[in-house]
Amino acid sequence: MTDKKEFWRWKEYRWHDETMDWKNADIISTGVDIGSVSSQAVILVDGKLYAFSNQRTGSDSPESANQAINWAMENTGMTLDDIHYSVGTGYGRVNVPFADKAITEIACHARGGNFMYGPSVRTILDMGGQDCKAIRCDEKGKVEAFLMNDKCAAGTGRGMEVFADLLSVPIEEVGELSLSVEEEPEPVSSTCVVFAKSEASALLREGWPKHKVLAAYCAAMAHRIVTLLERIDVQRDFAITGGIAKNSGVVKRLEKELGLEALKSTYDSQIAGALGGALFARALETKRRKS
Amino acid sequence: MASQAVLDQETFETFRNWRLNRAQYAKEWKQRTGGRVMGYFCTYAPEELMYAAGILPVRILGSHEVQDVTEPHIFAMFCPFCRDCLAQGLKGRFDYLDGIMIAQSCLHIRQTFTSWQKHIPIDYSYYLPMPHHVQSRRATPFLTKELEVFKDSLEKWLGKTIDERAIDDAIEVYNRNRRLLWRVYELRKGDRPPLTGEEAMEVVLSSQMVDKQDHNAALEGLLAQLSKREPARPTGTRLMILGSENDDMEFIRMVESFDATFVIDDHCTGTRYFWNDVELDGNRLHNIADRYVKRVPCPTKDWPERTRVRHVLELAEAYGVQGAIVIQQKFCDPHELDIPALTRALNNAGIKTLFLEFDVTVPIGQFKVRVEAFLEMLQEDDLF
Repeated sequence: MTDKKEFWRWKEYRWHDETMDWKNADIISTGVDIGSVSSQAVILVDGKLYAFSNQRTGSDSPESANQAINWAMENTGMTLDDIHYSVGTGYGRVNVPFADKAITEIACHARGGNFMYGPSVRTILDMGGQDCKAIRCDEKGKVEAFLMNDKCAAGTGRGMEVFADLLSVPIEEVGELSLSVEEEPEPVSSTCVVFAKSEASALLREGWPKHKVLAAYCAAMAHRIVTLLERIDVQRDFAITGGIAKNSGVVKRLEKELGLEALKSTYDSQIAGALGGALFARALETKRRKS
Repeated sequence: MASQAVLDQETFETFRNWRLNRAQYAKEWKQRTGGRVMGYFCTYAPEELMYAAGILPVRILGSHEVQDVTEPHIFAMFCPFCRDCLAQGLKGRFDYLDGIMIAQSCLHIRQTFTSWQKHIPIDYSYYLPMPHHVQSRRATPFLTKELEVFKDSLEKWLGKTIDERAIDDAIEVYNRNRRLLWRVYELRKGDRPPLTGEEAMEVVLSSQMVDKQDHNAALEGLLAQLSKREPARPTGTRLMILGSENDDMEFIRMVESFDATFVIDDHCTGTRYFWNDVELDGNRLHNIADRYVKRVPCPTKDWPERTRVRHVLELAEAYGVQGAIVIQQKFCDPHELDIPALTRALNNAGIKTLFLEFDVTVPIGQFKVRVEAFLEMLQEDDLF
C-alpha cells in the first residue's frame, strides 16, 4: 500500500540574510507566533529583518516555539543568549518558554502589517489557520478596532486544507486552479467546513470538474470574509496577512467583491504576526534600557 | 488587627455565601419568618409591595451550565438567559418558591414565565402588565392602577390586607438598600477603588436573593471595612461593562486577571436594579409606580427617546471610564437595537468599545484574546 499524499501540506521553510552581520548589533529582538496551524519565528537585528522560519505547529506549543526559533537561528551562529528580548504571540503565546512577554496576535499583525506594507495601511485582514481577523490601525500600526470571526473555522486556512485534500490538489495550486474557470459558478451555499465538504462531494458526483468546485468554495470563503470586513468599515489602504493571503483564488475574488485591491509586499504574509512581535520586542527592550 | 489578607477573604464572604447558597438561605428564611417566597423574572417587579405583604421577593437567575431540558418548552432562538432561568425551574432548583411573578419587559423572559406556569407546579403566579411606553405621562397612573390590582391579588392569596404602614416600611428598607449600594459604588469612582468589579457584582447580585434587612446590615459592615481597605492589586485600565443581564462571574474574573478593573456597569443585574429610589410624596402605590416608570430603563422601554445613552455617558464620565465592554445575551433584540447607538455615543466621547455576545457559557479562551487585544489598544502607547 502506498502512502497517501498529503495535499494540504504546505512547504515549511526558513531564511536568513547572509549579508548581515548580527554580532555588532545593538538590539536583537524576536517574535514567535504559535498559531493553531503554523508557527513562525522572526529575528530582527536593529529593527531590520534578519531571519525567519515558518513551520507547522505541533501538539506541544513550547516545543513548537523552540523548534521555530532554533530553525530561524540555524547556520547563523546565533543562540538564544544573544537575543535581547522575545515576544510570544498567537494562540500559544503564553507557552513560549523563552519569551519575555506575550502580546496578542491582533496587536502583532497590525504592527507587522504596518512594517510590511507601510504606514498607509489602515485595514488589515489576517486570514489565519483557524480564525480570521479584521483590524483597523493607525499610521504607526497601533490597533484602533478589530473584529474576529465567531464560533467556527469557516473562511480559514484549515477549511482550505480540507478542500485541497478532498480534491487531491496541492494546497499551493488551489488558488490558480480555481481561477481557471471560464465562468464563475455559484458559491457553495455553506462556508461551514463540514457542510461545504458534503456539498462539494455532491457537486463532484454531479460531474463538476475540480477547478469549478474550488472556484465555488473560494468564492464562498471570499464572500464570508467580506461580510466580516464590512462590519469594521474598511478604510484604505487595505492589506492581507496570514496563509490565505497566498491563495489568489480567495484574494482576487475578495478584492472584486470589496471593490478594493490589497497592497502587495515582498515579505511572506505568514510572518506578519511574528514580525509584529519582534517589533514590539525591540520597543520593549528600548524601554527597558531607558528605565 | 486583622491582616489585609484575612480582611480581603472575609470582606465579601457573606455576600458570596448568599449567592452560592441562595436556596438554603430562602428555606431558612421561610422557617424563621413563616413568610412566603416569590420568584420574579425581571427588575420591573415592584418588590416593595411584595415585601410589605411579608413576602421575600427573589430574582430568578440562571446557573451558566449547559442543559437540555428547555428545548421542548422555549424557542432555541430565544435568549440564553431566559432558557437558563427556565432550566433552573425544570430542574427543581427553585422548589422553595411559593409563587412567581413577572412585570412585562421582553417577550423572551415572558415565555420563561408562562412556560414555568404551565410546567412547574406552583401555588401562585401573577403577570403584571408593566407599560412599555414609560415616556408617556399616562404610564405612572396606568401602573398605579395595576399595582392596586396586584395588591388585591396578593391580599387574596395571603388572606390578609397590606396596610399603608407596611408599605412605608418596605419602601424605607428598599430605599436604604439602594442608598447603601450606591455608596459602595461611589467608592469605585476613586483613583484606587477598594473593590473589584467581581466583588461589586457579588454584592449587587446577592441583594436580589436575600431579605433586604439582612443585606442592609451586611452592607453597613462592608462600607466600614471598605473605608480602610487598601486594594491588593493595581487598578489598571478603568472599564465599564454594559448591556443586558450579566451575572457571569467567570468572565468578570477573567478580565480582571489582566491589568484592568471594572469600575461601573449598566446591567439590570447591576446599577439598573438599584439606581433609583422611591420618592415619597402622597399616594404610596403612585410613588412606587413612578419609581419603576422613571428608573433607568431597559431597552424594551427606552423609546421613542433613547434616554439610556445619556445616562451611560454620564456614568462613564463620573467613573473615569477608559474603555467599555458592551455585551449582549445572544438573540436579545432590544439590546441589539440599542448597541449601535450606545457604541457610537461612547466612541464619540473618546471611549473605545469591545462588543461580545454572551451565551449560557462563554468561550473564555476566545474572549480572552479579544479582551487582551482590547486592553492593548487602550494601553501601550509608549511602545509606538
